[in-house]
Amino acid sequence: MKRYSQTTGEVGESSDLSPWKTADALDLVYVGYGLLIVVLVLVSYVLGAFTWLPYDPEQIRVDLLNAPPGSAGHLLGTDFLGRDILSRLIVGIQAYFLPGLLAIVISLLLGTTLGALAGYRSGEVETLVTYFNNLVDSFPRLVLILLVIAAFKPGIYYIMVVVGVTGVPAVASLIAGKIEFLAQKNFIEAAHVLGLPSRVILLKHILWHHCMPLLVIQATIGMGEAILIETSLSYLGFGVQEPTPSWGNMVQAGANYFFQGKFWPSTAPALSILFTILGFHLLGDGLNGILEGSAGK
Amino acid sequence: MVHSSSGPEIGAPPATGAREPGIFRGAAPAFPAGTVKLAATKPITLVLARELALAALLLVGVSFVVFVILYLSPGDPFSVLLEGQISNHAARAGLREALGVPRTWYVQYLSWLGNLLQGNFGTSIRTGLPVFGEIARVALSTLYLTLGSMLVTLLIAVPIALHSSVRGTTALNWLLTMLAYVVSALPVFWLGYVAVYVIIHQFGVFPLTARIAASSERTWPFSLLPIFVLGIGNGTVSEVVRHLREEMSRVMGEDYIRTARAKGASVWRHAFKEGLLIPMTEIIASKIPFILGGAVIVEQVFNWPGMGRMAWQAAQDRDFPVIMGIAMIAATLVRLGSLLQRVVYVAVNPRASNERRGAAWAE
Repeated sequence: MKRYSQTTGEVGESSDLSPWKTADALDLVYVGYGLLIVVLVLVSYVLGAFTWLPYDPEQIRVDLLNAPPGSAGHLLGTDFLGRDILSRLIVGIQAYFLPGLLAIVISLLLGTTLGALAGYRSGEVETLVTYFNNLVDSFPRLVLILLVIAAFKPGIYYIMVVVGVTGVPAVASLIAGKIEFLAQKNFIEAAHVLGLPSRVILLKHILWHHCMPLLVIQATIGMGEAILIETSLSYLGFGVQEPTPSWGNMVQAGANYFFQGKFWPSTAPALSILFTILGFHLLGDGLNGILEGSAGK
Repeated sequence: MVHSSSGPEIGAPPATGAREPGIFRGAAPAFPAGTVKLAATKPITLVLARELALAALLLVGVSFVVFVILYLSPGDPFSVLLEGQISNHAARAGLREALGVPRTWYVQYLSWLGNLLQGNFGTSIRTGLPVFGEIARVALSTLYLTLGSMLVTLLIAVPIALHSSVRGTTALNWLLTMLAYVVSALPVFWLGYVAVYVIIHQFGVFPLTARIAASSERTWPFSLLPIFVLGIGNGTVSEVVRHLREEMSRVMGEDYIRTARAKGASVWRHAFKEGLLIPMTEIIASKIPFILGGAVIVEQVFNWPGMGRMAWQAAQDRDFPVIMGIAMIAATLVRLGSLLQRVVYVAVNPRASNERRGAAWAE
């Protein structure tokens, strides 16, 4: 695919090389690590869904409370009820995986629609979208979620709908900016000259060919945020309830033993949160550097 | 210019040229000749007034969203109040009538909004005390926490960003940037436990509620701990670093910086406004919601009597008036932050008073 760029003093085509070949080594490392995390999460999700686990995550062992990693066949040790931490970590992915995907789908769909409207049509529509964005951005996300929890006592999927809507402004403003930038390009004007219908230009030439990387990047960032929200809510006691494991309520349950020097039961899920969110962040930033950086945003 | 004849929705040819669809905007002349200079001298007070009006409009929108959520909720505060006291449906309706609860939603909204404007946020269902007073009592400690942690975030992020934008990628600032990434992914609740544990081991004691510590002469440094934990763990450090570094690098490459360097003037003095001050206010204003959200968790971890803890309690008890009040106050803080950002932006860059506001977020 050819990339067209038009900066001041230069009109023409830039390199035909794939952005992956000219990528910064550091970005490749970021993407590699991110993909590793994505694969791990996917595999663990499948394992958890079919309950192919080393131990039953809810099986209580009174003789093995807060066992350190590696003891008696428990690779990551046991928690305060003697339950296997590794199994609980794997099952804990169920708590955020599908809800997180729902949040991503909502923010991408709604964000792209609003962004395309704002970017392609100026005037009142753009003003309205800007107003909507500023309105949603006015709420601290967690406070809005607590408000919704107080009002509806909703399940995690409804909470993730709220998370998805709060993610709309970021996507919408990026897409709008991108479209405004692309609209000045020769190839879009050429498409207009050729008489292509606007919806083809918008959907195919602009969104499909040039906004896909942006949307993938936003999806990875959105997954990181959804994990953060879900674990925070479970930690606060509003998400998944004991005995069903979530990384957030595992940290919370383990915290009581933290000050007795038994760090592991809350540190294991905390590190899982850390490395997973880090993976999604790095994946997003690496892709951003590779795909968007060379396109001369 | 040739237009596609694709129908009315997008890209329709402009009839008079007065309003063109966005797609052709690039072709339009950027400035009608002769009007630029005049428009640029718009007084700053006018800009400020417009921003204030916009903030007020947004807050009305916020109040409407809050009201709609409340209105759609299955049990309204009134029935929560009467729960277990009057079971008869007709009797409840009668009591509603007697207490003058408006029937239609818009009358309810307008009367609620009118009360809000007079500072009457209702009374807490749990404690029976006026919500506004309750929030005002704890708002100061939340402000102390959030402003302090913002400062901590900047103290961490600014040196890293400046160093890497001036020096380019070195091993040291790669390490620091990586550290910023790791720190941003840390779950703040766990970081809180680690901090408390370290303090206990270091000093042998830890006052259970940090604010009580602040009142005592000997233990006041402990009250700084939640500020540091939130400042490090609010998840925004890496984004702040990235934004500051990108903006600073961009400004460093500008012609006027090259000119300054060539004539021997201070590069730093020339780059400060556009390269640091504006990006800093921008990123801080946009991160206020995250920091307020983080405050909910940190206040929970440290038993810090602030708005976040109150919001948590209210969500537990379904105490609508309290959580609504907190949402309104939090949204007001967010709007104040972006108002401040606009003021700094216009003050530093007088040309901006001429700009359409919508263009600001599309960049």
